[in-house]
Amino acid sequence: MTYRLEMKEMTKKYGDFLANDGISIQLKKGEVLAIVGENGAGKTTLMRMLYGLEQPTSGEIKLNGKQAQFFGPQDAIKQGIGMVHQHFMLFSDFTVTENIVIGHEPIKNGFFNRKIATEQVQKLSDQYKIQVNPSKKAGDCSVGEQQRIEILKVLYQGAEIIILDEPTAVLTPFEVDELLKTIRFLADQGKSIILITHKLPEVMKVADHVAVLRNGRVTGNVKKEETSIDQLATMMVGRELQQLSERNPLNGEPLLTLESISIKGKGSKPVLDQLSLTVHRGEIVGIAGVSGNGQSELIQAISGLTSVDQGDIRLSGTNLVGKSVAFRRNEGLAHIPEDRFLWGAAKDATIEETGVMGYYDKKAFNKYSFILKNSFREVVRTWIDHFEIKVKSIDDKSGNLSGGNLQKLIVARELGFETDFLIAAEPTRGVDIGAMEYIHEAILEKRNRGDGILLVSSELSEILLLSDRIAVMFEGKIVDILDRKDATEERLSVLMAGGKEDESSAKNTTTA
Amino acid sequence: MNLQRKIQQLLKPMLQPMIAVLIGLVTGALAIALVGESIMDTYKVMWDGAFGNFYFLTATLARATPIILVGLGLALAFRAGVFNMGAEGQMVLGAVCAALAALYVPGAGIVKLLSAFLAGFIAGGLWSLLAGWMEVKYKVQLLISTLLLNYVAVLFAGYLVAEPFQDKSGSAALAQTPMLDQSVWLPKLFAGMSVHMGFVIAVIGAVILYVILQFTSSGYEVRMLGKNPFFAEYGGINKQKVLLFSMFFSGGISGLAGTVEVLGSQYRYVEGALTVPGYAWTGLMAALLANSNPLGTAVAAILLAALQTGAMGMERNTEVPLEIASVIQGVLILFVTAKFTLSWWKVKKKAGDVNGAV
Amino acid sequence: MELFDYSLFASAIRMVSPILLAALGGALCARVGIFNVGLEGLILAGAFSAIVGNYYSGSVIIAVLTGAFGGVLVSLLFGLATIKFKANPIVAGIAINFLVLGLTTFGLRAIFQVKGAFYDKDMTGLPKWDLPLIENIPVVGDLLSGHSPLVYTAFIAAILLYIFLFKTVVGFRILAVGKNEAAARSLGLKVTVLQYGAIVASGVLCGLAGAQLSLGQVTMFTEGMTAGRGFIALVAMMLGGSHPIGMIGSSLLFGLMDALSIRLQGFSMPTQFTAMLPYVITIIAMFFLKDRGLESQASGQQSSR
Repeated sequence: MTYRLEMKEMTKKYGDFLANDGISIQLKKGEVLAIVGENGAGKTTLMRMLYGLEQPTSGEIKLNGKQAQFFGPQDAIKQGIGMVHQHFMLFSDFTVTENIVIGHEPIKNGFFNRKIATEQVQKLSDQYKIQVNPSKKAGDCSVGEQQRIEILKVLYQGAEIIILDEPTAVLTPFEVDELLKTIRFLADQGKSIILITHKLPEVMKVADHVAVLRNGRVTGNVKKEETSIDQLATMMVGRELQQLSERNPLNGEPLLTLESISIKGKGSKPVLDQLSLTVHRGEIVGIAGVSGNGQSELIQAISGLTSVDQGDIRLSGTNLVGKSVAFRRNEGLAHIPEDRFLWGAAKDATIEETGVMGYYDKKAFNKYSFILKNSFREVVRTWIDHFEIKVKSIDDKSGNLSGGNLQKLIVARELGFETDFLIAAEPTRGVDIGAMEYIHEAILEKRNRGDGILLVSSELSEILLLSDRIAVMFEGKIVDILDRKDATEERLSVLMAGGKEDESSAKNTTTA
Repeated sequence: MNLQRKIQQLLKPMLQPMIAVLIGLVTGALAIALVGESIMDTYKVMWDGAFGNFYFLTATLARATPIILVGLGLALAFRAGVFNMGAEGQMVLGAVCAALAALYVPGAGIVKLLSAFLAGFIAGGLWSLLAGWMEVKYKVQLLISTLLLNYVAVLFAGYLVAEPFQDKSGSAALAQTPMLDQSVWLPKLFAGMSVHMGFVIAVIGAVILYVILQFTSSGYEVRMLGKNPFFAEYGGINKQKVLLFSMFFSGGISGLAGTVEVLGSQYRYVEGALTVPGYAWTGLMAALLANSNPLGTAVAAILLAALQTGAMGMERNTEVPLEIASVIQGVLILFVTAKFTLSWWKVKKKAGDVNGAV
Repeated sequence: MELFDYSLFASAIRMVSPILLAALGGALCARVGIFNVGLEGLILAGAFSAIVGNYYSGSVIIAVLTGAFGGVLVSLLFGLATIKFKANPIVAGIAINFLVLGLTTFGLRAIFQVKGAFYDKDMTGLPKWDLPLIENIPVVGDLLSGHSPLVYTAFIAAILLYIFLFKTVVGFRILAVGKNEAAARSLGLKVTVLQYGAIVASGVLCGLAGAQLSLGQVTMFTEGMTAGRGFIALVAMMLGGSHPIGMIGSSLLFGLMDALSIRLQGFSMPTQFTAMLPYVITIIAMFFLKDRGLESQASGQQSSR
């Protein structure tokens, strides 16, 4: 039989860098293929070539046995390939219907007929059992609903092959189950699914076939029945993971205390609602929660980037409310920001300039208001050595660094302040496993020295690995705080969805 | 090897402006051909008109003086990431206030002179600060508010010298202030030549601004605000304060441009004397051409001034109208902008490729 | 002389048309995600080419067409710089304003051998159309009848643009490009074609605005005769939220200010202050803007998410 999709010996070079090195995969009708691999393994590049967003350096793509070429997304869409991007491609001001039919709008008398469009969307939604409200604005939909819009959109476009790029990263555990069911249902209807992910339990639940990528090559291509999570993990990383250092028990004083802080926000519900939390010296407090439940606002409220409407923030007893960012930093606060390009660096600034932020007016590096560049460059060089940051030159632009290397630079900068307190928000987002281990170790070392750390991460595994205590956020509140020894992924999942297990599923079905 | 790399590093940012200049000259050549003159001869006449002898050279430098200062003021604002388009109004208000201070502040010549400088700087600065304040406090877009404020400032200055402070001595009622006392005139650099002390001030200003931007903490704060305001805020830089300071100094320096023009070459405020030659807009182009590098801005300002004085020489000696200079400048700036974002775009794309790999 | 009378509002309606036409052009660009600061230059190009067309053909229709064509040529240059060469639209827009100012003064010298302004008594201006029936209604007739065809064109264009943007498929896609260009590209929409289309259309509209300026009242061209109208149109566009009907309202406000500024010259007030009025009102109007065309002008920084 012929495969619905075959990619043969796909190779993509960016300059000297081989993003994909002779990758071959096959996909049958009605099959779910999972492509797994760590950050930078080449998953996204492969899919971008399939979707026409990149041209392969060499290799061929066959659809139903015939050679195919894609010069842009429109070619891919025409030939029955649909992609659900990790970051949704939605128009938040448009209705659900408009978002689904765009590009293939029904026309009557020369005008865009929104009534017919709505009917078509409703029909499609019923056919594939994917619930949406066609007349709602996409921006008002929950994240899970937005993802359903994206899936309906590719179905509306007539996709036979559907690529889902990290689809579960943004979902609540309940929504993840729903999505996996939908994927299975679509496959049973004869659609072929490519699932890109690094979450192995989900792979084991839904995939028929698994392809593992590492450093741009295929390191495993196996049937789901013939493999296990452990085997997949080994194929992904290529080595055993390092063990973190021991954590010494410390019973430190309270360092950061938040007392019933609130931020009203624009919507009807407050984004932070009477939130109280304490971080002690020698403690890592992890914040778990589905993104968008007030974590970003919490970080910004502590670091001074946004003001609170009510409540008390104290660092070692000093009141921080109403104080500037600079004041807070001088009081002993460092901050690894959640979005390194938005907050953490300036792309057009040199590596040195990105590094010197926060140091330029410190006595050691400033004389008569002149920045002592030479002394500071020494410091940056030690960071580069210490964290193995790959840079061409210290005068190269920060934007030329890869995401992982830039992240290491930012981590080095913020740890270098040697403050008592650190906010670490998504400290390892998008970095490779080596850098991740390094950053985790550095954070743990800081804790062992007696400093306090607030860790915010969307990766539960990271929270579980590092935290001494775990606070779960839901709708701007902390719903529970668990001790390290009591926390399990299951318990946290339930709390993240807003309470007890049966309660949460009831809640979700009514909103769906 | 290291030297070679250094030279390359120096030349690389020059390449794009050079291409833009080339495109500008080609456009100019087309226009000359359209009028039916010989291209090479016309350009030769233009060159002579700008640099042909010592007199023309100093005339070029005199013309460059206000352009350099305006360019420096704008370069500062651009570095801070604000599109200050209000140099014309800031310059004109600076000029008229400097003239009035030089006329009416009592005291010795030096006192009058210093108060004229102070008045020119503060007037330009405050006018610019107004736009900055509206942006910071009420989010009134600075790009457009500064443009509109130009019209208001020029009309207001016109009113001042047409009504309350008009020179009533002459028979013709021109819109201008009385002549300043000789004691406040800026000295000429060479007897009989038009270039004056203001040129030296402008060049020193360029060096000072370069040093401040490149090597001091305040300069660092300004540059980071321009490169990424979120990063600046995150790092503890007071965004609003830096923006307002930058706008004040930006307008102040433009005000100085008007001041030296009044004290060094007009010796009074004459309506239209600063706006008709388009000093402010040429200064803007100089800053854009040099990518807001203060030293580069000074060089670009001299080149653009040369283009204009050269065009005047050309008009005297050929059939080609002098407005060809504006055409060349316009094309030049259209293509020099392509550079900015081309390089920015490359960076973005590269970063996207690497980070896009999830 | 009265400060407010019917003829003031009638002249306000006349003054509205260049602002409204240009604002509609600017809005089209804004709707595809390009902030067009070059409106001023586009209008000036239209005004000049309309006069050139008028002078050589002697026909008003051809004059209007050449005006629109002049706007299109310059807008294509703007499109080339911003779309093809990825130039910063703001800097490119400003460059366009200068370039056209230079080109038109150069053109005055090269074509008409004059400096400053060109006037020829043989040139015919735009006709005044009396609207049948409406002209006989008392007040309304005074206000609405007897304007140049371009005045009516401006209002009709606003309504057509409304239908185009919100009822047709192409209009829907244009809105999509402006709301989220990355998403539009990922859908395979022809973003570049739509952007060029919008820019060319804005060239036509601004060209017509220019033709109304140079042919509407006195048939002549003066150096820099737009006098900041492009920027006022830009504010009218933002104030109207880039919505055609909203822009009719905001343009009427600025047209009234223009008319008032001229009317006030008849009173014993320094002309400088009356001339300031439109600019001051425009700045004040900006305090009430809700939809800001661009958040932070200079930062090319983008979130990594």
